Amino acid sequence: MQISVFIVPIFLILLLLHAKRKKVNAYVSFVEGAKSSIDLSKDIFPFLIAIFVAVNLFRESGLISCLSNFLSPVLKLFGIPHEICELILIRPFSGSASLAILENIFSQFGADSYVSRCASTIMGSSETVFYIATIYFSQTKAKRLLYAIPVALLCTFVGAVISCLVCKIM
Amino acid sequence: MKNVWFVLMLSSLIALAILSPEKTISALMKAGQDAVLLSIKLLGIYGVWLGVLGIVNKTGLAEKFASLLEPVIDFLFGKNLDKQTKSFIALNLSTNIFGIGNASTPIGIKAMQNLDKINNSEIASNSMIMLMVINATSLQLLPTTIIGLRATALSTNAGDIILPSIITTSITTLLGIILVKVLSKIKLQKNAIKNRKKLYFGGEKCK
Repeated sequence: MQISVFIVPIFLILLLLHAKRKKVNAYVSFVEGAKSSIDLSKDIFPFLIAIFVAVNLFRESGLISCLSNFLSPVLKLFGIPHEICELILIRPFSGSASLAILENIFSQFGADSYVSRCASTIMGSSETVFYIATIYFSQTKAKRLLYAIPVALLCTFVGAVISCLVCKIM
Repeated sequence: MKNVWFVLMLSSLIALAILSPEKTISALMKAGQDAVLLSIKLLGIYGVWLGVLGIVNKTGLAEKFASLLEPVIDFLFGKNLDKQTKSFIALNLSTNIFGIGNASTPIGIKAMQNLDKINNSEIASNSMIMLMVINATSLQLLPTTIIGLRATALSTNAGDIILPSIITTSITTLLGIILVKVLSKIKLQKNAIKNRKKLYFGGEKCK
C-alpha cells in the first residue's frame, strides 16, 4: 500500500531526468502528447453516452434488482452470497455504479464483514467488461468481436466465485 | 456489443413503460449528463497521461520498455508486430499492473488502433481480442481505490483484500489468456477446413 504511492512520482522524476540526458524537450513533447487527448475524448464521447443511457435505464427500470433476485439462488450454488448479486450484475457495465453499490454494502454490513470482503475482492479483481469492449473498439474498423465478450464475462464470473472462496478461507 | 445494447435498452424500456413511465426521461437525461461529466473528467485525465506518454515516446523509453517485455508480448500477440505497437502494448499492460488504470485506457486504445490497422477487417483479430480480454480481466495488483474506500468505511484492516485480489486476478487473467489461445486455435482450424473445402470444390469445377 505504502510503496504504490511512490510509483508515480518516482517514475516521473526518472522520466524527466532521462529526457534531460537525452536532450529531449520535455515540455514540447508533453504538449504534443496531451493534444491528442482532445480528439480521443471527442471520439469516445458518443459511445460513452450510448453505454450510460443503457446502463442507467437498466438500473432505473428496476430490472437489475429483479434479475438479481431471480439469479441469486443460482449464484448461491456457486457460493456467492445473495447480498452481492446486484454488484456482480452491474460490475461489467459501470465502474461508478458498482462503486456506489459497494459503498452501500459497506454501510449495511460493516467493512470487515464477510460479505464486504467478498464484494471488495470482486471489485478489486475485475473490470468493467462492456465499458472496456465499447471504448477499446470504438476507434476500430473491426466491429465483430467474436468470442471476446463471452470469454471476458466468463472470467469475471469465475473471478467472483474464486473471490468468495478465497475470502472464506483467509 | 450492438446486440447487448439493443437487448438492454429494449427490456429496460419495456419494464419502465409498465412500471414507472414517468421515470424514463429523467433517467435518459441523467445518463447524458453523467456521460458529459465523465468525458470532461477523462479529457483532463487523458490529457495528463498522453502528455507523459509523449515524453516517454520521444525519449525512446517506450521502445526500451517494449524490448524488456518482448517475450511476453511475442507469446501473447504474435511475433510480427511493429515496434510502436509493441511499446503501446507494453505500456498498457504495465500501467494496468501498477494500477494507473486511467493511463492504461488511452494507451490501450492507441494500441488497439494499431492492431486494427494491421488487421484491416470487420472481424477482430486474435491479438485484438487478446488485448481486450487481458484488459477486461483486470491486471491490477493493488486495488488502491477499493482499499481507500474500505479505510473510509472504518475497516480495521483495509488491506486484507490485497492477497485475495492478487490470487483472483492472476487466476482470471491466466484463464482469459488460455481461453483466447484455445479459441483462436479452433478458429484457425475451422478456417483451414473451410479453405480446403473451397480449394477442393474449386479444383473440381476447374476441371
